[in-house]
Amino acid sequence: MHRRPAALLALTAASALVLAGCSAAEPAETPSTPVAGGTLTYATGFGEPTCLDPHVGGNMPQALVGTNVLESLFSQDEEGEIVPWLATGATVSDDGLTVDVALRDDVTFTDGTPFDAAAVVANVEHMKDPETASSTAILALGKVAEVTAVDATTARFTLSEPDSALQESLAQTWLAMESPAGLARGMDENCAGPIGTGPFVFTEWVQQDHVTLTRNEDWNSAPEGAAHEGAAYLDEIVWRFIPDSATRFAALQSGEVDVIDEMQPDNVVAVQEAAATGGDFDVLVGALPGASIRLELNSGYAPFDDERVRKAFIHAADVNPGIESLFFGTVDRSYSVLSSSTPFGASFESEYTIDSDLANELLDEAGWTERDAEGYRVKDGKRLTVDFPISTNQSIPAEVSLFEQIQATTKAVGFDVQLHPLDLSSWYGALAEWDFGVTSAIYTKNSPDVLRILYHSDNIQPAPSGYHPNHSHVSIPELDAALTEAGQTSDPAERAALYEQAQKILAEGAYVLPLYDHLSKIGYSTDVQGLSLLPTLQIPYFGDAWVQE
Amino acid sequence: MTALIGAEADVRARGGDGGRMLGAAQWVAIAFLGLLLVAAVAPWLLAPGDPLAIDPGEAFLAPQWGHPFGTDESGRDIYTRVVHGAAPSLVIGVAATAIGIALALVLGLAAALGGRIVDFGVSRLLEVLFAFPGLLLALLVITVYGPGVVTSTIAVGLATAPGYARIIRSQTRSVAASPYVEAAVVLGRSRTRILSRHILPNAVVPVFVLVTLGVGQAIVWAAALSYLGLGAEPPAAEWGAMLFAGKNYLATAWWLTFFPGLAIVLSAAATTVLGRALQRRRPQ
Repeated sequence: MHRRPAALLALTAASALVLAGCSAAEPAETPSTPVAGGTLTYATGFGEPTCLDPHVGGNMPQALVGTNVLESLFSQDEEGEIVPWLATGATVSDDGLTVDVALRDDVTFTDGTPFDAAAVVANVEHMKDPETASSTAILALGKVAEVTAVDATTARFTLSEPDSALQESLAQTWLAMESPAGLARGMDENCAGPIGTGPFVFTEWVQQDHVTLTRNEDWNSAPEGAAHEGAAYLDEIVWRFIPDSATRFAALQSGEVDVIDEMQPDNVVAVQEAAATGGDFDVLVGALPGASIRLELNSGYAPFDDERVRKAFIHAADVNPGIESLFFGTVDRSYSVLSSSTPFGASFESEYTIDSDLANELLDEAGWTERDAEGYRVKDGKRLTVDFPISTNQSIPAEVSLFEQIQATTKAVGFDVQLHPLDLSSWYGALAEWDFGVTSAIYTKNSPDVLRILYHSDNIQPAPSGYHPNHSHVSIPELDAALTEAGQTSDPAERAALYEQAQKILAEGAYVLPLYDHLSKIGYSTDVQGLSLLPTLQIPYFGDAWVQE
Repeated sequence: MTALIGAEADVRARGGDGGRMLGAAQWVAIAFLGLLLVAAVAPWLLAPGDPLAIDPGEAFLAPQWGHPFGTDESGRDIYTRVVHGAAPSLVIGVAATAIGIALALVLGLAAALGGRIVDFGVSRLLEVLFAFPGLLLALLVITVYGPGVVTSTIAVGLATAPGYARIIRSQTRSVAASPYVEAAVVLGRSRTRILSRHILPNAVVPVFVLVTLGVGQAIVWAAALSYLGLGAEPPAAEWGAMLFAGKNYLATAWWLTFFPGLAIVLSAAATTVLGRALQRRRPQ
């Protein structure tokens, strides 16, 4: 057995030394003394979860509200390196099929249940149970055959094949540790208030209004990079749901709420400019790891089952001018399917040139030769229609405007793109039925293994939650092989080569149009101090936050 | 006998009764509605451009020469979009009101002339519908039949019907009891003739005054539904939808919302001014 966590433990020790003066978690503010007490109000634009337990389904709204209650076995530091959290380290066997995770022995869930190896086993079993209807967690644990408790502080993960992303997966809130006693209450009760080990506890959920998080007085498991140990400063956090971004920003400006997410680009710029001269608000920006925000072309159904039609669409959809004008310089155009904060991203800019002559040629070749009175292309009496469902919870208004521009630029070569703004559940519904030609999607995962989740042909089949991550309906044996192999090897050079090969196949086959990184744009009142983004998923972390009077 | 025939003739003549001259406000309203009609029927006369043509390089331009109302977030000319937005708004307004009136005529006449049991049934139904705010009723229809221009038109039409129906019912009842109808009955006119020549015109003419007011209301409601994302789908040039898209930039680019908002206010105001003027001139 070779021991990988040596470096990891050294890193922990080093960071413990500098922990006292650590600033990784602090925004650039004049240092002031933390004040205990007070309530912080957070307004999210991501929508309200239907279940607070992130094992069930597993989306951003759940991770956002859950991260300050439920903690994970591992975390990541600013550089993306895995660091221990509820675990103290991991030992991987030479064949890569056995991973022993050593656990802290001094952590207790807020219902009094001790955190131990039996709890890890109960959690993994819960995530893998089809009754739980998980998608994110069950997909991340696809290679975990079994977990057993070796002793109270050692959990042994037995894998069906090596998994280079296991520890990264376990760092995500969707795979967080919950009290086994809490899980045993059954789905309905656990959904209303999962029990964790974190700085806050779910105490109230008034549906369609807010969730209240109350301080955990006994908290002793701050993650790597935290500014202090021991109970959080805030008495409680009121987590509100304000789907409209203009209303959310107005609520921040009026002082009705203290922190908001999903800010509009023009507001980010305005706040940053004001902050430079001592404004009352500021912004935290981080690139969410995983896939970039991209258009997925449904290659399983007409008209995008024809590669020429997909290529024509990509060569006609001129997005750069819109990204510049709509996003006010807050994001850069991406030509990679992976986020800039995720390793092994590869850019294939030349596959995404804008060339309407080429697009017209490709469509003619594909048999879409006629045009109707409105200028749309027609073949066998059918118009070249592309349905585009838009999740208004996931796409900010600037993004919806960008999609309108795509509609306009692709119309020039004869595409009839039909935009359908939908709420989250209707959008999931349209995707589940493959009732779309193109859609925009986000998938947050702190590992390049996200490519396997999104583009391996296995994931055309829906997960227990009904969600199929492979929206593009890509099914290519070489791609499957590259993604599987990359997930098994831990040699960085080999992984880089395999992931590049996979991204090249996707780019050349015109399955995806990458747009830009998914940014976490958190606006906050400068009365809020000590706010930071937890590096793993770039989610706001309130363990060190306090409100200045 | 001649007196009775004279009375009948007099009733028919009243519609053309002179009344006061139109004031300046009424002329302005008529001029604006005329302009609106041109914009709805032949928008290219007022704005030759394409309301959907984008130009990201020219986004968020303030009102200026070449773009009198400025440009929106995709560089589309707002003046062109406001002009082209007149048609959907006006069509929704007029069609919704027509649907409302048609339904109201059936219900109102049935209640007034159909005997006590029918009257009781229809009146209670109208009271139940009245208990719901009109917009809520419209939302209900949209929830069931899905968003879109056609459904929102029908929804607004259905939502306005109870109000008209109640007016038609009471008007019909008072007309049916009037001396000239009694005279017509005495003269031995057929039931259809009495209904079509005496009751219907006199019961419905006052409603047409209300219709003028109603069109303005329907335009506002249709804009409200589009604003909620339940009417026209993006990027259609529709005033309510433009307001919705523009509101995200209220702080940085006011012209995105100001001009479509102004168009809605002026259309509603113009139809109201005209409706009021007609109301004052209506035969008593």
